[in-house]
Amino acid sequence: MLFKISISGIKARWRDYIVLFSGMIMASAIFYMFEAIALNKKFVTSTTVGQSAKVVFSLGSILLIIITLVYILYANNFLMSMRKHDYGLFMMLGAKSSKIGTLINLETLTVGLFSTLIGVVAGIGLTKVISNMLVTALDIPVKYFQAVYNPAIWSTLILFMILFIVAGLMNARSFTKTAALKLLNSESKTDWKQPRTKRLIGQAALGVIFLAMGYYSLDHIQQLKGLSILIGLVTIVCGTYFIFNSFFVILLERLQQSVLNKRGINSFTIAQLKFRIHDYTKILSIVSLLFSLALGAITVGIGLQNGLPETANAKSAYVIATTNPSSKMAELIAKTHGKNENNYQQKVTKKAVYYRLSEFSRQPIEYPTFVSNGNPQGNLQIKKSRLGQLGNSHSQPYQQLRTLQNVNLKTHQIKFVSDQVFSKVSGEINHLKLIRVKDLNGQSASLKAIFDLQKRELGSKVVQSMGESLILYEFVKNIFSSMEFMGVFLGIAFLAMLASCLMFKILSGIDRDKTRFEMLNKIGTSQRSLKRSIMLQIMGLFGLPAALGLINVGFGLQMFVKASLLHHAYQAFAYSSIGFLALYLVYYVITVLIYQKVVVPKAQNER
Amino acid sequence: MTKEIIKIQDLHKVYDQHSEKPYEALKGVSFQVDEGEFVGIMGASGSGKSTLLNILATLDRPTSGNVQIDGNDVTQFTSNEMANFRSNKLGFIFQSFNLLETLNVFENIVLPLSLQNTNHRIAQQKVRQIANKLGLENLLTNYPTQLSGGQKQRVAAARALVSDPSIIFGDEPTGALDSTNARDLLDMLQQINSQGVSILLVTHDPFSASFCKRILFIKDGKIGDELKATGKTRNEFYQEILEKLGTFEQ
Repeated sequence: MLFKISISGIKARWRDYIVLFSGMIMASAIFYMFEAIALNKKFVTSTTVGQSAKVVFSLGSILLIIITLVYILYANNFLMSMRKHDYGLFMMLGAKSSKIGTLINLETLTVGLFSTLIGVVAGIGLTKVISNMLVTALDIPVKYFQAVYNPAIWSTLILFMILFIVAGLMNARSFTKTAALKLLNSESKTDWKQPRTKRLIGQAALGVIFLAMGYYSLDHIQQLKGLSILIGLVTIVCGTYFIFNSFFVILLERLQQSVLNKRGINSFTIAQLKFRIHDYTKILSIVSLLFSLALGAITVGIGLQNGLPETANAKSAYVIATTNPSSKMAELIAKTHGKNENNYQQKVTKKAVYYRLSEFSRQPIEYPTFVSNGNPQGNLQIKKSRLGQLGNSHSQPYQQLRTLQNVNLKTHQIKFVSDQVFSKVSGEINHLKLIRVKDLNGQSASLKAIFDLQKRELGSKVVQSMGESLILYEFVKNIFSSMEFMGVFLGIAFLAMLASCLMFKILSGIDRDKTRFEMLNKIGTSQRSLKRSIMLQIMGLFGLPAALGLINVGFGLQMFVKASLLHHAYQAFAYSSIGFLALYLVYYVITVLIYQKVVVPKAQNER
Repeated sequence: MTKEIIKIQDLHKVYDQHSEKPYEALKGVSFQVDEGEFVGIMGASGSGKSTLLNILATLDRPTSGNVQIDGNDVTQFTSNEMANFRSNKLGFIFQSFNLLETLNVFENIVLPLSLQNTNHRIAQQKVRQIANKLGLENLLTNYPTQLSGGQKQRVAAARALVSDPSIIFGDEPTGALDSTNARDLLDMLQQINSQGVSILLVTHDPFSASFCKRILFIKDGKIGDELKATGKTRNEFYQEILEKLGTFEQ
């Protein structure tokens, strides 16, 4: 009978449960996808991406578990808000706390088990689709990647069951501690109290100060070192909370005093939003922080990949250096687009390598150097060498040329001589070809082919010790690819969960709002105004955390810029923000549509 | 000597006691209800009648005072004792029926017994008995959405009676019914009462109140007056209630 009551409760509010189910299914599917990669031993141990990703993946797992717990608690809160009245009635009819506890646990676990099972199946499908997509889009050499992976299935099932048991126990505890009468009448009650102005202003000021402190500390990472992140974390979390708890409330109070408030049902819309923001402080703060984390993860992931050419160029201006290229090599080089070639003749004697000075005059060798433009770490610049520099064996162009020659010439002295002298030197004649490529990322496929050929022709060991930047480019690309994969994956997962958390929270208040909108309808408010009011209210709830999240990321990126970890950070920020906001918008639209459908009373003449 | 079912002494209830503006909903209420009585409590909105009913129903605790139901001091109960007490000794009929839409009539009526883990066979027998008594025997497999308002309230009454309570509390039970169905329900309550079940009815409707044997008028948190139906026809009692309300409410 108890089980029947639980199940019938689910059946009765099927439409609400579908929203909840889909959210839970998504959470478990995301977790499965992640674990299918992170736990896959073959994948992790036998590919460079896998190896470099191991640490990042375990860190990602922990983050994902934390956000999943928060998500499940919110989703359950939504579930329980739908059941308050029924449980209140059971208590009134004499059900003991233990019985109510059993019922709640039973219901939570049933919902949990079903959604997790479906989620794992969905996760297997998604892993297949998304891994293919990411591998192609991000050019990740992912081998040994299995969509159906038993350890991932088990870890997802076990973790979700533990989370649901925890959520069930927490729900049961909070329910049994609430009086039956309160539960029975829960739909008509609110906890809203008008906050005191002085306290509001104090908190708002504190919020701004905390955020400013956080941004300042992230900006000064070089001076504060590790402390910067710690200070940033604490102050930004506190600041965000206070901003929602008071700053936005004050802004809305100002709006209430403006002319805008007097138009249409704006007064209702603004008042509702004010009430909501105050009521939703915690969730809005969490959403805002997760928004920052998610967008930050994507931005840093993409930014690292974008900054790859700079990282590689810091080693050498030339991506490829080849002595006497084979015909195959020449063919591959010819296929590479957007390149500059420097060709030098060499004559090698026992102790020296001779070059024609005239060739270096016509094609000066280029070298990377760091110029301090207010940045203590220096900004990378590629400079052309002057002939005078070449005579100095300690100069950068001289040193670079030495590393770009054949590996066995490292101890040879380099001599730049006139054409006449060069022709008189007797020694082995070689042809050194140095290649610069403008768009390294754009040519990554042909560069990879050249790299592979070099390894075949010269052996991996020799290639490792070469001075060209290709070796560093290929090595770092593997690491950055996994970071990008992780950033994009975690970012999207966080976004999906934070947006659903917000959606659940908003939708869980739908019953209370229904009567308000019915009342507005009765006093003659048009359907259009009602729908617009909903749109604006939900826009506020989605928009404000997003705005604060964007600002957080904007300042947070300074940390990476100042530590010279990211190049073109704000370009990556712009791209990722657009993509991110587009996805976020989808959640907003879905929430608005569901809300409008449930809350706005149907017009009498509607068929 | 008749047995007291309810005995209340100097009952006080203060809301938001520690706030700047505490609100005293009950200001020293005392009365008693004997076994087999049909007592009505009348009062305007905000008079304290719902607070009183909630305390009697063990859904709320008084700030001070003594509440004894069937010889038990309910103010000293733990939450589990309260739950047991509610399911064994009290029955409820609400204005809004409070039936579960997803359970059929049988399942709705059996709910209090299921929550107490009563043997299924005994529970089934009891439900059939009570359904026959209230004329619900042909509706047992129907769902609440298939019932009229009057039928729904009869199901609610059956649910209240199924555990053989010492007293039934009615909170405006005719509030959502039309006059014919309201009349049917009140007749039924009178019939149940005549079989020995005590009833306490909270209402502001004089017609419903006229079915009671005794009426207590509550105003501003205090019992103000009392009317008894002894020796009067229902119509005479109704007129007397109307007269009383006319003077009492002013």
